Amino acid sequence: MNLIGLALRNLRRRPVRTTLSILGIALAVGGALALLALSRSIQDTTREGMDEIGDDLAVTQKDAPDIFAGFLPADTEVRVAKVAGVTRAAGEMFMFAPSEQNRQVLTVGWPETSYLWAKIPLRDGRAPNADERKVVVVGDATADALAKKVGDQIEIFGEPFTIVGISKYKAIINRGTVMMPLADLQELSYRPSQVTMVHVNVARDTSKTELERIRRDIEALGGVMVSTSSESLDNDRNFKILNAVSLAISIIALAMGVIYVLNSLVMATQERTREIGIVAAIGWSDTRIMTSIVIEGLVMCAIGCAFGVLLSFFAAFAFPLIPTIGDMISFRPSARLMAATISTAFLLCAIGSLYPAWRAISMMPAEALRRA
Amino acid sequence: MIGAVKRLLGQAQPGDPPPRPAMIALAGASRSFDDGAIVALKSVDLTIDAGECVAILGPSGSGKSSIVNLLSGIDRPTGGRILWNGTPVASRRAWARLRRQEIGIVFQEFHLLPTLTARENVEIALMGHAIPGESRRARAETVLERVGLGHRLDNLPHALSGGERQRVAIARAIVNAPRLLLADEPTGNLDSANTAAVADLLFNLQRDTGMTLVLVTHDEHLAARCRRCVRIRDGEVADDRVLATAVVPPLAVRREAAS
Repeated sequence: MNLIGLALRNLRRRPVRTTLSILGIALAVGGALALLALSRSIQDTTREGMDEIGDDLAVTQKDAPDIFAGFLPADTEVRVAKVAGVTRAAGEMFMFAPSEQNRQVLTVGWPETSYLWAKIPLRDGRAPNADERKVVVVGDATADALAKKVGDQIEIFGEPFTIVGISKYKAIINRGTVMMPLADLQELSYRPSQVTMVHVNVARDTSKTELERIRRDIEALGGVMVSTSSESLDNDRNFKILNAVSLAISIIALAMGVIYVLNSLVMATQERTREIGIVAAIGWSDTRIMTSIVIEGLVMCAIGCAFGVLLSFFAAFAFPLIPTIGDMISFRPSARLMAATISTAFLLCAIGSLYPAWRAISMMPAEALRRA
Repeated sequence: MIGAVKRLLGQAQPGDPPPRPAMIALAGASRSFDDGAIVALKSVDLTIDAGECVAILGPSGSGKSSIVNLLSGIDRPTGGRILWNGTPVASRRAWARLRRQEIGIVFQEFHLLPTLTARENVEIALMGHAIPGESRRARAETVLERVGLGHRLDNLPHALSGGERQRVAIARAIVNAPRLLLADEPTGNLDSANTAAVADLLFNLQRDTGMTLVLVTHDEHLAARCRRCVRIRDGEVADDRVLATAVVPPLAVRREAAS
């Protein structure tokens, strides 16, 4: 028998309270893990989507708070393409647009001559022809979710579009994207002659120094910011807010879990005042008594964390089943995230257990035995 | 210890070396509760030498349990000091160490942990001694066999009789081979048969090991088996005397006196 065995024995004595406390920790850890993984995943998914398009650099409006909020003149594409070292450039407008079944779909608009059309991995159908209007290529995830096939109509911003192709990207964000001619999206969004971003490709053998020079030259055009896809996401206000909110909610969730443990231990130590008096009377040191109580808290925390991890995987598994957003984002808690969340939970539980432990030893043993 | 025996036997002579300090002593110890509204002990002076067998007698509420609480350090005096081998014991840590190594306590209410078996209840007194788990277990079993509970090792307290529970409590108190055993009304909750068995166990242990035994009781017959009897009344020592008719002195003490 050791302190851990003793802790398990004590926890088994109060099965309902112990179970509820463990459940509290599990929900907190599971919720925090899922939330943080989801937040990271949205950013990662977007990054994967941009990487899949194959950008070397992305040009956006200077000082725009997020990638959706900045707009550039459409001729920026031409001006950027003329910069030495740029092999090709493609303007793009994107936004979330209302579609059928109350879904918001990520909609992108490309000029009819853009090289991006040719890069679409098609599952069915084709890309729009030059001068073709009111046609779209739909990501397979959205097509499947809305049960659409080539030749069907799909509503975007309340306007009917004909589906001419269904794409099959790998990145889940691209799998939900609807692509249409830039002119259509400009018209629908009342932003004629504007784009949100210009994709830039450079030669494969471009050195880092050369790439930096190209960045500077593009920025010299004025009013634009040039970044890699990672940089543009890291600087994005929306992602910063999302990450901050996720972190805050996770901390609150973990704190609530710790309060469950704290409450459970406070009540347990109150109930066991006599027993604490007994072990003190037979010579247990204050440190040992405190350690035994903290271990009880940590044992609850460990079991709660194990269930919490399972819960987060269940949430990751079940997330795609959520209508409207389930097919846009996927997430899986990473080992690093689990380690960070579990470490935080353990630290908070240890701190939370110290109070009841301190209460337990603040009384003389005789007093503890008298109170029984 | 020799000094104590000589004093008990009235053999101290001029020129003898100065007596060693008492094993444990209350020096003007007081204990009151509720900001002095209830006074349990009034400036009590009491010395107990190594190897003594002392009965502390008194009616309920006289303060005899308070003496045991102070002697074991599980309570703090509101006045005066407690000396161990002539040195004041002040800190909780020092008292905890003494209870772990030098002092065993037996309570009237047994005070066993209900979720632990008899063996585990004894074993927990060895935790914190840097003894490997197997050795701890073996020592607990040995002591339980010694108190006649070798066949009840894996029983929880609720499955034991009152007498058996008290024997587990005694085993727990002696498993660390303490030099001082404090027993606070150890037979108070037992029937006459178990009272006799537990009392015999305590006196035999004291006789065989030479440990100091302080027995708090209101049972005159039990007290009569001790060599020294201290009567407490209203929080004060009313009488402190060596009984002429005490039962056979402890074997170990007799051996030491003879040496």
